[in-house]
Amino acid sequence: MAPGLMEAVAPAALPPAPDLDRMRRERTQRVRDAMRRKGIDALILLGNTNVTYATGVVWPLADGGRAGFERPVAVVVADDESPHLFSPIREDDRLRAHLPRDNVHGPAYLDFDEGVRDFVAALRGLIQADAVIAMDEWTHAMQREQTLLFASEPVDGGRVMSSVKLLKTPDEVSCMREGLRITERGMAEVQARIAPGVRQTELTATFLRTIFDAGADANVLDPIWQVMPTRVEDGPWTTTGDLACPLLSTERELEEGDVLWVDAGISYAGFHSDFGRTWIVGREPDARQRRQFERWRSIMSAVLDVTRAGATAGDLTAAAIDAHGGSKPWMPHFYLGHGLGIDSAEMPFVGSDIGEAFDASYVLQAGMVLVLEPIVWEDGFAGYRSEEVLLITDDGWLPMTDYPYDPF
Amino acid sequence: MTGRPRDRSVVTSTEVVPDDPALRYARRDRVLAEMEAANVDVLVVGREANARYVSGAPRLWLAGSRPFGPGCVLVRETGAVHLMSTWDEGVPEDIPHENLYGITFNAGNFVKVLRDIDGAATARTVATDALNPSAAALLPQSFPSARLVDGDRLLRRARRVKTPEEIDAIRASVHVAERSLAMAEAALAPGVTERQLTGVFMETMAEAGVTTPSTQDVAWITSREHPWRRASRDAPVAAGDLVAFEAGVILGGYVGEVARTHQVGARDEPGRALHERRDELWDRLLHTCRPGALLTGLLDAYDAAGEAAPPMPVARGLGLGFDQPVVSHDLPDTAADEVLEAGMVLALTAFVWQEGVGAAYGTEPVVITADGLEMLSMTPFRDQWAW
Repeated sequence: MAPGLMEAVAPAALPPAPDLDRMRRERTQRVRDAMRRKGIDALILLGNTNVTYATGVVWPLADGGRAGFERPVAVVVADDESPHLFSPIREDDRLRAHLPRDNVHGPAYLDFDEGVRDFVAALRGLIQADAVIAMDEWTHAMQREQTLLFASEPVDGGRVMSSVKLLKTPDEVSCMREGLRITERGMAEVQARIAPGVRQTELTATFLRTIFDAGADANVLDPIWQVMPTRVEDGPWTTTGDLACPLLSTERELEEGDVLWVDAGISYAGFHSDFGRTWIVGREPDARQRRQFERWRSIMSAVLDVTRAGATAGDLTAAAIDAHGGSKPWMPHFYLGHGLGIDSAEMPFVGSDIGEAFDASYVLQAGMVLVLEPIVWEDGFAGYRSEEVLLITDDGWLPMTDYPYDPF
Repeated sequence: MTGRPRDRSVVTSTEVVPDDPALRYARRDRVLAEMEAANVDVLVVGREANARYVSGAPRLWLAGSRPFGPGCVLVRETGAVHLMSTWDEGVPEDIPHENLYGITFNAGNFVKVLRDIDGAATARTVATDALNPSAAALLPQSFPSARLVDGDRLLRRARRVKTPEEIDAIRASVHVAERSLAMAEAALAPGVTERQLTGVFMETMAEAGVTTPSTQDVAWITSREHPWRRASRDAPVAAGDLVAFEAGVILGGYVGEVARTHQVGARDEPGRALHERRDELWDRLLHTCRPGALLTGLLDAYDAAGEAAPPMPVARGLGLGFDQPVVSHDLPDTAADEVLEAGMVLALTAFVWQEGVGAAYGTEPVVITADGLEMLSMTPFRDQWAW
């Protein structure tokens, strides 16, 4: 059995328990520094994960439909060191611990003209009439409000957030590590249940029960237990002509010999986790499958050899392509790798359709957290895919995941 | 090891299939009629529930809000649906392969995909359900002759009254929520934590074949000091605590939600009195639920019962995702502007709180009918609290 990445390299020197107060303080400071650089007086955030970043407030994320209406809204004001929160939940111990009472407001129903009117009335108590406002997104009811929100064209607040969340502090890395640990605990329970006759949804049941018991705030993605076809053409039609993945889980029963590509993620302390492995149902991998895994490992190893602060995304894709004999070992609709943090997939994207010029110019920095997910595919014989999560450091990287490659 | 016994009463599937044609066509026709009425040529939707409403295709469930992106496009003149999907699994046969476009991380590729849609070049009015700064900047490049307008209101109008097939879909979802909730309720005992009760609910839901919750905040110990105070999810429940459960699942895209409150261990007199207050409030709420009634009536029911405004909306629409109307004491003018109509489905909430005791809380999904209402749950809370 092949040990996980963390066991295979030197033990990781990751920080111990996070200081959440310091983490929140530093984040708010970063947001306000970025606002100052861009001349923004007030930053209004609607996106759930952006609100968490700016305010430090964590809640169990709901289905997108509900999350779109019942959403906490953050307002960061340049000359107020504490962010403001408009929230249906005003008396949460997690809020009261770190936000001044005056900064916690009632819910903002921004899909309704009346809700926007009340929100703008509250904003007038916080900012000047001619304030430069940035927003990550807006509703049409907000867009109809022309006296403050759209008195002039809003600045792109999403861009502000993309830049500040990019580099993780040791406290943030520590939170992420715990989220990954919880995910791995859930996966260990699932993997012990893998057998012919078990339904995909039962695997999800085991995963969900375990992650909540182990401390997850929420599940963030309907877990994937995809039974891979042996040939691309035996799977669904795709826009790319390549593999269809990830496909939704159903009540399909697993059969002996099924090749499962697993993908899941949870949220913990406002961070999303990621996990990817290949498992074989009810059998040991055969010689060909072991060769696929060894090939995957050699690609991962080639990429890791060039991964460090100062390397470009293009250096990573070139190493992967070279180790794969000249073609890209990833799915064309995705990427070789992506950033991870408050969102399941965030910058930097490595090998995506943003293009080779972008990859060549994108320089990795210490403090980025990167998920690498190369694949090996042998049409006619399926393939191998796993994911590893790394922290980029000045002289290389540190593994943040510890899950073995069992049964390989 | 083999699979656990399967709950045959829940109809799910071993394949990813599109929504039933009866659902799909009725929904799309409603949207097309609203586009016609609003003179909108092209509708670009980002919210997942809106994309499913228009397309009938299930896509990967993700928790939380998502930034606006062109998830689905509906062209009025041709009725053509264009869908962001890299594959055709679960895509209805009326959306041909050439109308599918893959995930992209490159905004320029979105511009191109949308520009190439038949009708994009000549569209005069393009509606979206939300916007962000980059989409606001890029959409004019795809639709050079068009004005960008509000598509949210037309979708709300299309969605607010449900078809009979939609009501059946919501009912099926409610039943899964109830059944999953029953297992969490059975686990309620001194020492168990909110987190563990949530875990039991999620596990049962997924074993029933449904892996997508509408809320992941399933259980909480109501506060004796404040109507709506949340403590740590890891705090153990104690005898006498009033514990609220909010159970919601997404089945076939449709949300089914119920909420219940239970006292841990022996029920005491203050708990009984509080539940009587809740039931009195509930009866008043039900009494106002008639077609033609102003939504304000639901807010007034709280005043008439002498109860304070609840910390959550009194009523929320149920449908695909989260729907109209939203009836809240924070939105009195909005409520005064709208009436109940037959075919609306509401999650209706009675919430009462007593200092030193806690909260008693119940939410029932109800459908407004021609002559009143119908309860969608199998075991409404009003009948459960037997002493």
